[in-house]
Amino acid sequence: MSDSASIEEISARWLLRREEADWSGEDQVELDKWLNSNMENKVAYWRLEHGWRKADRLAALQPFSPAPAHRPRRLWRISATAAPLAACLILCVLTVSSVDVARHKTYVTEIGAREIVPLADGTQIELNTATTLRTAVQGQVREVWLDQGEVYFEVVHDATRPFVVHVGSRTLTDLGTKFSVRRNGDHVEVAVVSGRVQLENEPVATTSMPVTLARGDIATVHGTSTSVLPNSIDKVDDLLSWRHGLLVFDQSNLADAASEFNRYSRKKLIITDPTIARMRISGRFESNNLDGFTRLLRLAYGLNVADEGAVVKISD
Amino acid sequence: MVDDEVVKAWFVQEILPLEPSLTRFIRSHCRQAADVADLRQDVYVRIYAAAREQLPRQARPFMFTTARNHLINCAKRAQIVSIEYVSDLEASILAIDTVTPDRTLSAQDEFRRVRTGLDRLPPRCREVVLLRKIEGLSTREVAMRLHVGIDTVEQQMVHGMRALVDFMLGGSGKIRRAATAKRSLEKERNR
Repeated sequence: MSDSASIEEISARWLLRREEADWSGEDQVELDKWLNSNMENKVAYWRLEHGWRKADRLAALQPFSPAPAHRPRRLWRISATAAPLAACLILCVLTVSSVDVARHKTYVTEIGAREIVPLADGTQIELNTATTLRTAVQGQVREVWLDQGEVYFEVVHDATRPFVVHVGSRTLTDLGTKFSVRRNGDHVEVAVVSGRVQLENEPVATTSMPVTLARGDIATVHGTSTSVLPNSIDKVDDLLSWRHGLLVFDQSNLADAASEFNRYSRKKLIITDPTIARMRISGRFESNNLDGFTRLLRLAYGLNVADEGAVVKISD
Repeated sequence: MVDDEVVKAWFVQEILPLEPSLTRFIRSHCRQAADVADLRQDVYVRIYAAAREQLPRQARPFMFTTARNHLINCAKRAQIVSIEYVSDLEASILAIDTVTPDRTLSAQDEFRRVRTGLDRLPPRCREVVLLRKIEGLSTREVAMRLHVGIDTVEQQMVHGMRALVDFMLGGSGKIRRAATAKRSLEKERNR
């Protein structure tokens, strides 16, 4: 009989180490080696990872929620200082600069397409599916406008000529970086691979308060609120897997996974049943392989897949 | 061979939520409470091995069949169990199939559950887990904040994680010490 407690203890140490900021590629190789060395390790690790992720709900704890009577007071002092950091930052910013008119160039990608474009200043950009980007990179001006879609930037830094990305009323200024920006209407997501980016939100009201994002940070901007998920380089990698033609889901719900696939395909997935829309999906998929994904839903999850030409309906 | 990512998704989605039922099933057929977690792990390994070849069509019956077969094998190997015990097990699967399915917890239920689990942890352990989960502090940062050694923090986090996960998956949320840890603890005591 196996000593499950010891294996569980080692799994726990791996999980904790993996959450640390200095987790490297070599560490991952070591972990994979351990996981693959026997099946006990793997199932114990999966189980612990799954349960530990459920405990992420703790992040919703607010210092002002009623405390259980026996909780030490000290804890509340700690969480009180943490809350403003952990919670969403609400940012209001003025400044809207009138844009110098330079010669614009517009790049457009079709649904399912991907394109790498070198700009005149040496900066390289990569456009994901269904994206429209306007650029004005000439002389002293380096500005681009993301009208829709998703773009990855590798900016050649030049302190005298900042590289500015306009996303609706938001502005991103590169401070020497690789980062990606995704826009869906009013919703903007920024993921930083290396270096730093400065983000300014809507010019609505009083104070100007730009946020500086660093490696591993993911900022989500919706309306006037900006939330930042720090130190999440693994998640940044997942978000950027489109550059390799992949979609990575980590406990995503089926509805979100379907809308991700729909970005890449003219044929659209429709989830007809709200309960299965909440099902959790994890895994790596080719973004243009909708059939592979629906096959998995049919075989592994036992769902009904009805291909009707323009749409594929998924039901229980 | 089924892709490991697919097996993992299936295992997490279909099997792990059934853990409370599986634990109950094993406990009701196993006299040594200390063996329950080990037996459960054995069952998980067998399920994983089978799923890697082909994903079972239905998780629940497959899991109970696997558990029952494993318990029967263990019982036969131990050579101390009566025929009645094995035939009880043979019959048990029929009873299990009619048991009401495990309820999937809503987000709110899960939140409540994790808070309860947290409150069951010893104070030091709870504090460390909170700093990790709410403030997202690294092990080193927690150690600095609490003025204790990194090893201590790591040990507390390991305990906290294991107990909390156990509770989230329907267990008692008590800290179960590993055999090796127990041994070293005894060694320390004897010193």
